[in-house]
Amino acid sequence: MSPPLSKVVGNRGDPILDGLDGTTAGISVWSSTRILIYANRAFINTFDIRSAKIGVLHHDDFIRHLIVSNELSLLSAEEWSAAQIQEFGTEQHDIQSTSDGRTLDILRMPSGNGGMTVTVHDISALKSTELALRSAKEAAEESGDSKSRFLRAANHDLRQPLATLRILIFSCLSETDEAHRKDLFHAMDVSVSIMEDLLSALLQIGQLDAGIIVPRVTTFQLTSIFERLNLQYAHQAAEKGLKLRFAPTRAAVMTDKSLLERILSNLLANALRYTDVGGVVIGCRKDGATLRIEIWDSGRGIPAGQMERIFEEFYQIPDGRWAKRPGLGLGLNIVHRLAKLIGHPITVRSQPGNGSVFSITVPLGDIWHSEAAEPEINEAMAGEFVGKTVLLIEDDAELRGAMQGLLERWGMRVSAIGSEAEIRRHLTETPATPDLIIADFRLRNEVGTDLVERIRIMFAKQIPAVIVTADATPEVVAQIKAAALPILIKPVSPPRLRVMMHNLLFEPAELMMPPRKADA
Amino acid sequence: MTIEASSRDIPIGSMLPLTGPSAIDGAEFRKGIILACEEINLGGGILGRKLRPIFMDTGRQTAEEVVTSAARLIQDHSVHAIINGYNIGSQNSEYEVIADASILYIHHNTLLQHHDTVLSNPDRYFGCFMANPAEFWYGQGFVKFLSWLRETGQWSPANNRIAIISGSKPYSIVIANAMANAAERFGWTVSFGPKILATPRNDWREVIAEAQATDPAVIANTHFYATDLASFQTQFMQHPSNSLIYLQYGAMHKAFVELAQGSAVGVVVSAVTGLLRDEPGNSFASRYILRFGTASTPQIGCQCYNAVRHYAIAASVAGGTGEPGNGSQNRKIARALIDIPFRSVAGMVRYHPQLQAAIPYPDQEQDPSLGMPHLFYQVRDKAAGLALIAPAPYNADRFVLPAWFR
Repeated sequence: MSPPLSKVVGNRGDPILDGLDGTTAGISVWSSTRILIYANRAFINTFDIRSAKIGVLHHDDFIRHLIVSNELSLLSAEEWSAAQIQEFGTEQHDIQSTSDGRTLDILRMPSGNGGMTVTVHDISALKSTELALRSAKEAAEESGDSKSRFLRAANHDLRQPLATLRILIFSCLSETDEAHRKDLFHAMDVSVSIMEDLLSALLQIGQLDAGIIVPRVTTFQLTSIFERLNLQYAHQAAEKGLKLRFAPTRAAVMTDKSLLERILSNLLANALRYTDVGGVVIGCRKDGATLRIEIWDSGRGIPAGQMERIFEEFYQIPDGRWAKRPGLGLGLNIVHRLAKLIGHPITVRSQPGNGSVFSITVPLGDIWHSEAAEPEINEAMAGEFVGKTVLLIEDDAELRGAMQGLLERWGMRVSAIGSEAEIRRHLTETPATPDLIIADFRLRNEVGTDLVERIRIMFAKQIPAVIVTADATPEVVAQIKAAALPILIKPVSPPRLRVMMHNLLFEPAELMMPPRKADA
Repeated sequence: MTIEASSRDIPIGSMLPLTGPSAIDGAEFRKGIILACEEINLGGGILGRKLRPIFMDTGRQTAEEVVTSAARLIQDHSVHAIINGYNIGSQNSEYEVIADASILYIHHNTLLQHHDTVLSNPDRYFGCFMANPAEFWYGQGFVKFLSWLRETGQWSPANNRIAIISGSKPYSIVIANAMANAAERFGWTVSFGPKILATPRNDWREVIAEAQATDPAVIANTHFYATDLASFQTQFMQHPSNSLIYLQYGAMHKAFVELAQGSAVGVVVSAVTGLLRDEPGNSFASRYILRFGTASTPQIGCQCYNAVRHYAIAASVAGGTGEPGNGSQNRKIARALIDIPFRSVAGMVRYHPQLQAAIPYPDQEQDPSLGMPHLFYQVRDKAAGLALIAPAPYNADRFVLPAWFR
């Protein structure tokens, strides 16, 4: 009795046949009576026929086995099996996919005695490379098409304000009426801002096309973006007489901060552009583990038939009323592409005449991970001297600059002054009392101690003060001490200055206390 | 175990407030240094040389006291490194004499100004390390903690107002400023302060009443002396309001609970460096209490203990310690301290390579294995001690609404 194929492999007693078991190509030989007379290891494994037997397995049963076992991924199994059985012994070349994702190149060749030899090559790797190449080619072609389309449209939109600008300049050159000239300048300003918008949008689109925008996901407080957008758009809204309101939020969200800001900025700019009365409100709604950020406007709304097209490049709703300060038709396309890049869905609902609501849904973040501050903290953010005002009087410009830099690094607001004349001017212009005075002893026309005294009288307050001096002679030290002012000797060491300022501002009693002797 | 002097010993200096308002902490810092040296010496020391600690009292921690201590340790005792807890009042003045001597200095001053000083001249201050995160993170971390309580429904504050009271040390002022700075972003409003008061102080009644007049959901006091904070809490409890009370670091101390007794229960306190309640932490606490008695506080002593151990590892890898003036050897140790993060009993000590300060979790680093945990506790009763309530994965208890809430 013939053993199953699994036992035969590599043990056939024929070095040539055993050798063929070592090849990666599958080989099988069928007799004129359609009985299997040879199959190598690769063939047996490819079609999982380990239990079949040489001299027993019939070709048609083999085909039916392939159908039942679902080895091949076939669109119409019945049709395929009928053709295989009918066309036994004829030359055929097929590329077949298997159900586990491989691609097989199957070649059937008739043998001289009415039988058939079948060879099978696994060409999955080749196929995958080919597919990748094809997809890259298609993407490149598509990108090329869209770039040409884009550049044609951009060219048109950029030429329009340029042409207007040229006409306006010529008109302006010959215009003698001052009021009319002002109007022309205003119109030029509008043209320039249109070009500015377009160039900025082109830059963003260019970055998206080039694929150089790589999202960097962090967790942060959404309100930090709202603050910046408010600064950016409050004036614009006020100029149009629109109300702009950001509903307070304390949510931490997890996404790319700058990309989300660009999306919201574009949506907000659009909302303000197409709203004539009423206002724009930005608010949030929690929805499970996500947050929906919504931009509500009381603008003209979008006709139902246009909803699908508004995210296309350079698409503008064909409506004469929009012509006053038209958009470029790029904002929403940028929004769409950026949102796709960071994987956040954008939705829009609108009612012509009643406004629109654009929304973007972002994942909520863990509040512990929220970046409340800049990545690197420093004393200008929350140091002990933050916000304190200091009057720095030093006539050496270099020293004054260095000291001012140091104090500002520590978060202080510094009025740095180099001469008595400047002091007089400063004190007239800035009537607020400084928290601290740091004065050089030897000024051009008077000594620092006298100057401090005059400033204190002027503000009617014993403002904390320190005198710095390079002259540490006993006479000078005595003179400063006589004025009951503390001294720092130049070059001033930053830690000493800190200690002195801290004590003057927060712990004046420490200045009176004699130092203790350190004990072992 | 005792530490006996020998000429081959490595002298390690330590500047501690053994008298004055921070003497309670100073005593624990000393114990931490002693235990670390004893354990390291028992294992063979640093490449066969034993560590010999030398202590200097910095009293009120003024610049003069701290600078004098550093100078004496270097000049009189030729210490190879100075390792200690905090000295808040010196404002980094001691860095100058230490930098002049080119030795290692590992401290727990918890001051933001460390960043500015090191960045101002990285080559000069190569040896100055802050083994815990800057106090800034206390402020921001606390605001996140409050927001986390609110967002997770563990606490429903009646409003979003925070009253902030600060002591007059730079440490307290920076924490208060950082708290105020972060509050708004997380949906809180500072209704009072930061009000800076001269400290030490034991009468807080007026400022408590002023803060309460703004009806705050939270009152935070960033002053840090345990005894002063006990007075604060006792006085708050004379007329309590529906306000969550946060007290700075000193309230972690046993002395705080001893003094404030039942009034302390419910207070929230935090530490940017604190003992973890895991196997290494518990084992350390047992050894510490066995060595120094049940009245000691391993939660405080662990800081110096960790710093000595990290230094010993770095010095061993660098091939030995360096005496004053031996900058080339000490630079190798400084490099090793940065290159070899150390999983201490207070969590990961991983130095920021430029700032030479430990990076905090979750305030700055999101991976708990890469940052030193900023731990939040709530005082239970005297027997139960402090409940560790945040952050994950270190928390072992839940926040409980204080009993004074009506």
